[in-house]
Amino acid sequence: MKAGFTRFARNRMALFGAAVLLCLLLLVLFTPVIYPDNPFKLAGPALQPPGGRFLLGTDTLGRDIAAEIAYGARTSLIIGVGATFVAIVLGAVAGGVAGYYRGATETVLMRITEFFQTIPAFIFALLIVAILSPSVSSEIIAIAAVSWPSIARLVRGEFVSLGGREFVQASASLGASDARIIFHHMLPNCASSIIAVGSLLIGTAILLEAGLAFLGLGDPNVMSWGLIISAGRAVLRSAWWICTFPGIAILLTVLGINLVGDGLNEALNPRLRER
Amino acid sequence: MVDFPPLNKISRRSALALPLGLAASTISNNFVKADEPVRGGTMVMIVQPEPSTLAHYAVTAGNIPPIATQIYEGLVTYDWDQNPQPNLAKSWEIAPDGKSITFKLREDVFFHNGASFTSADVQFSFMEILKKYHPFAPLLLAELTGVDTPDATTAILRLANPAPYLMKALAGRDLPIMCKSVFEGTQILQNPSANKPIGTGPFKFGQWDRGQFVRLDRNEKYWKPGLPYLDHIIARFIPDAATRSAALETGEAHFAGYSAVNYADLARMKTNPILDTTMKGYEMTPALSVLELNAKHPPLDKKEVRQAIAYAIDRKVILRDVMYGYGQPATGPLSKLFKTVGFYTDDVRNYDVPDRLDIANKLLDGAGLPRGANGMRFGIHLEVNSFGEQWLRQAEYLKQALAIVGIDLTLRSEDTATWLRRVYTNYDYDINEPFLSQGVDPVYGLNKQYLTSQIRKGVTFVNDSFYSNPEFDNILNEAMREQDHDKRAALYKKAQQILAEDCPLVWLIDVQYVSVFNRKLHDHTTGPLGTQQAFERAWLEK
Repeated sequence: MKAGFTRFARNRMALFGAAVLLCLLLLVLFTPVIYPDNPFKLAGPALQPPGGRFLLGTDTLGRDIAAEIAYGARTSLIIGVGATFVAIVLGAVAGGVAGYYRGATETVLMRITEFFQTIPAFIFALLIVAILSPSVSSEIIAIAAVSWPSIARLVRGEFVSLGGREFVQASASLGASDARIIFHHMLPNCASSIIAVGSLLIGTAILLEAGLAFLGLGDPNVMSWGLIISAGRAVLRSAWWICTFPGIAILLTVLGINLVGDGLNEALNPRLRER
Repeated sequence: MVDFPPLNKISRRSALALPLGLAASTISNNFVKADEPVRGGTMVMIVQPEPSTLAHYAVTAGNIPPIATQIYEGLVTYDWDQNPQPNLAKSWEIAPDGKSITFKLREDVFFHNGASFTSADVQFSFMEILKKYHPFAPLLLAELTGVDTPDATTAILRLANPAPYLMKALAGRDLPIMCKSVFEGTQILQNPSANKPIGTGPFKFGQWDRGQFVRLDRNEKYWKPGLPYLDHIIARFIPDAATRSAALETGEAHFAGYSAVNYADLARMKTNPILDTTMKGYEMTPALSVLELNAKHPPLDKKEVRQAIAYAIDRKVILRDVMYGYGQPATGPLSKLFKTVGFYTDDVRNYDVPDRLDIANKLLDGAGLPRGANGMRFGIHLEVNSFGEQWLRQAEYLKQALAIVGIDLTLRSEDTATWLRRVYTNYDYDINEPFLSQGVDPVYGLNKQYLTSQIRKGVTFVNDSFYSNPEFDNILNEAMREQDHDKRAALYKKAQQILAEDCPLVWLIDVQYVSVFNRKLHDHTTGPLGTQQAFERAWLEK
């Protein structure tokens, strides 16, 4: 693990990504202190350009964009991490069971996985949110529902290759239960791949969430980056700052997550270690 | 006549440029003064969104009339004072008892299919099409028992009771005249002319390229001599708001009515030297944005609570930040546009007073709804109107405004079908934020929204707030039949006062539509129906 950390730290881009994420985390933690007011509060005159009383200006209703972005960061992280966690659990269970038991179980589970993979992710997510009515939990469900198949395929592949290894067969011949083999021997051995792929999934989830909110399918009671952008789109040519700053926030966050994800992948993937 | 190339064979841009160029070449020899109409040219107007049908006699979506009224005409048109003017009818006479109206029709009018226009077409249009299939004509024509046709140029409308509002609704927008021989003996709603309309108007239907445009061609045999001036009208459909604005700014489109341009873009458009804007032409298109309060859901069953909500909202903020300053704060249940015809009154309970927040808090305290530990008295839901961004902005403002008086509003935004079903079929809502068109007479806007008989499960945009007041019902029914204008106005004044006091709805903004047009286009807005009447006099400067 320590060697992995050193390898990660040697990757400058990954360190940069980690720094961006750290800033984001600090912002989320201190948001209630910096902006004690509700981000929907009409803080001042509408359409104030950045740099005056309001650091990043105000939107069409006179809300402070800096406060909106700070609260939007929290929403993005909650939904990004939440949806990824649900997707990993779902994917690991489906992929793990399929890869461990093989046979008919595998056929059925992997066909289901492939079925989900064939539906265009964003459109499927739109449909789920529309049916469930927009809220934070329905967004998490929708994003998880379109994200789990890639995890399932990954875990199944790892399990299939691990299944033939000596240490797995040794514990099986010593009479270990299926659960013990799965949770003690196999899952820990594919954890590094799951972490690497999962970290990238968070970035995708944040983008999906922003897309949903942009199309008006975000939770209308919760501030989010997509919501700010969709509200500012109408005045893009006269008030550039409304769309620009949340756009930069999304860009930096997703970039940071991707860089960290790549760094983790390099640090944890044995095949890339000697590069 | 200019030979028109098949539009589906050429690209979109050249499709618009080509006929313009051809038309220009035919008259370029003549020097023309800017204030004298010029024949020829193709006007491109933006219609938003694309209509789903052109069956103007069966569907009343607001995006149909800009196209359909070029084709279908009514018995009369209206001048700027909203007085009826001769059109297909040369003259008319209302019987002293108000129970019949005799129309003398023009004898030189032909439909686009060559059939001549007679009283039989009036009879068939009113009795067999409009009264049976039109969404709101059954209300306007409720008293109509028959149309007598003693000869080809005389049509007598027989009424069970006087219907003074009828003379306001005879334009092609509201009660169009169709050709009997096209519809007779067919299934009206399946008639092939639904999307290839045949009328008497200045323009004939040419082509509908779905998702792109409708092309209308000059009616060479139009009964008004020398009209129309334009060779073609192309109604373009551009879903993206920014692209619509760009089409006007580059001169690609000449006209966009009915607020097809985002209010946010108007300030920029006004600085463009080739464009101008007008708010005229909507005098007979009154509309209010409102909040409907479900009186079946406590605590909204209490009048005091409904009034408190009306007091808590600062309409000026909505006007400034959501409507970009277009419109006026609504003062009561009728649009200020009814002032012209004498039915509007502002002598009602005024919810826009300086101490409105104190009043709201007192009303809520008095209703037995004290503030809880978090400062909130109670929580309710608002259904966000799904017809566009601005309604979510309005909802976000309302959430802040009501929080000040201790009402915790939770927003719920769903797709259009789910929203309409939740509100008008399941009645599973507390507050709804629709946008109500009020028609040409209070009969339309007030009756459908507030009469007890208009609580109709499953019908959209009728009385869904469960308002039921027998005294009020009687006044409206009396006003519907009252022939004397002043007595009628007095009845409607009383009705508005009762409504403002009972507060079944909260009236927010008296909506103002805006048209954006190219300065080369002249005489496009020639009456109070504006975009919803024919562009027969419109002409393009070269």
